[in-house]
Amino acid sequence: MDETRVVTFARVADFGLDVRVHCLEVVDGLEQGRTIIIKENGATLGRSPPADIVLSDSEVSRSHCRFTIVDGILRMADLNSTNGTFLDGIRVSGEVPVPVGAILRMGRQTLKHEHRTEKEILQRDEFDREIKKANAYVQALLPQPLAEGPIEAEWVFQPCSKLGGDAFGYGPLNENEFLVYMIDVCGHGAGAAMHSVAIMNLLRKRALPGTNMAEPTEVLAAFNAMFPMDDHAGMYFTMWYGVYNLTTREMRFATAGHHPAFLVGTGQEPVPLRTRGGLIGADPGTVYRAAAVTVPPGASFYLFSDGVFEIVTKDGVEWGLNDFLRLLPAAPIEGQNESTGIFGQVRGLARAGELDDDFSLLILRFH
Amino acid sequence: MEMQHSDVGEVRKVTLKGRLDTAGVDMIETRFGAAIAAAGKNTVVDISEVTFLASMGIRMLIATTRSLSRKGGKLALYNATPAVREVIETVALTDIIPLAGSESEAVSIVTGQA
Repeated sequence: MDETRVVTFARVADFGLDVRVHCLEVVDGLEQGRTIIIKENGATLGRSPPADIVLSDSEVSRSHCRFTIVDGILRMADLNSTNGTFLDGIRVSGEVPVPVGAILRMGRQTLKHEHRTEKEILQRDEFDREIKKANAYVQALLPQPLAEGPIEAEWVFQPCSKLGGDAFGYGPLNENEFLVYMIDVCGHGAGAAMHSVAIMNLLRKRALPGTNMAEPTEVLAAFNAMFPMDDHAGMYFTMWYGVYNLTTREMRFATAGHHPAFLVGTGQEPVPLRTRGGLIGADPGTVYRAAAVTVPPGASFYLFSDGVFEIVTKDGVEWGLNDFLRLLPAAPIEGQNESTGIFGQVRGLARAGELDDDFSLLILRFH
Repeated sequence: MEMQHSDVGEVRKVTLKGRLDTAGVDMIETRFGAAIAAAGKNTVVDISEVTFLASMGIRMLIATTRSLSRKGGKLALYNATPAVREVIETVALTDIIPLAGSESEAVSIVTGQA
């Protein structure tokens, strides 16, 4: 009896170490970072089997497009998909060649065409494992939740797959003052994470030279002087920095390019806490401004990164800060702390696939 | 992300369309730099059709503005949508790059007539 072996997925091992294969790297969408290899006799792409490449996005048609390899060149044909196939932003009609490096989009999935050897693909997988380790290092530097005392603290930190540049911290500066901060380094990847770790370590060790850490404008100015963009691979970062005085109940704060934190008194509307100041590292002449607020007993303080509200919902609606604010304060759920509850809500509302950016949410409760 | 450019007299006009996020910036960053910093002309950038501005987009704008300024050229953005204007305001980008309400206002700013 004849035996037919149907190969539906190409594996790197099918090709050999130094042979270049055409692959699609998921740049944005579900399974970000996944490498899809296109075998020599081509592949169809759709949202469900029998498509060879399955992208479970409702905006991808069941039979969306087809890839073929002709004379070593990758070609693509749109199969009359509902929402179209886009190559470098232009809707594809008919059958076209796909240049190496081209950005393809079907529905909400963005793929990049790469032409790589097995060795390169394996190195990429190794790199992804390293990213996970870098992630674990950042996590280890985050402070412990505070379950009791004059200030309680809880948080959720969920980095996106590419490892963003979010970091935050809080803790006593001295017996009377308590500091809290959040930073967001622009971009993703190991570079942004390394940058955020360097910044966090300076703050953790209270190691800013000649700087009064109780004065937010001095802290931001010190960072701005120490981290000019041009000396740090073009990276800038945003920061929210505040110092709470336990005696006067005053929170003094300053922000650099960061959206506001919010203070919610019992039964009150959220009050935004932000001052106008430029990104750290962008311009050495930037002037930072401080403001202060008195924290009423029982108030909650919310400090979060933009990954928390820059989501696209299942209905395709792009959220903004004001949409997120409607979730605060979150109604208490038995056995679950507030930050975890909010994270679950946002994740539930967001479209399929993981959240696009680091999710950092810190909640302080002042007695 | 799409990009077009043309010249209006001595001023270069660049139009951006789409999302200025990591993928969008990846697609046009080289061309953007070439059309602006390499060309060295005073430049106005129409962002009326930029639907989303994220950190890599901000980085690209700042880096290009600074490269252009080293050649003595100025850059101004104009016609931001309310959502994009909010992002620009949050990061106080206008301290580094002016934002105008119209093309003619942007041209006046970069040619020094404002």
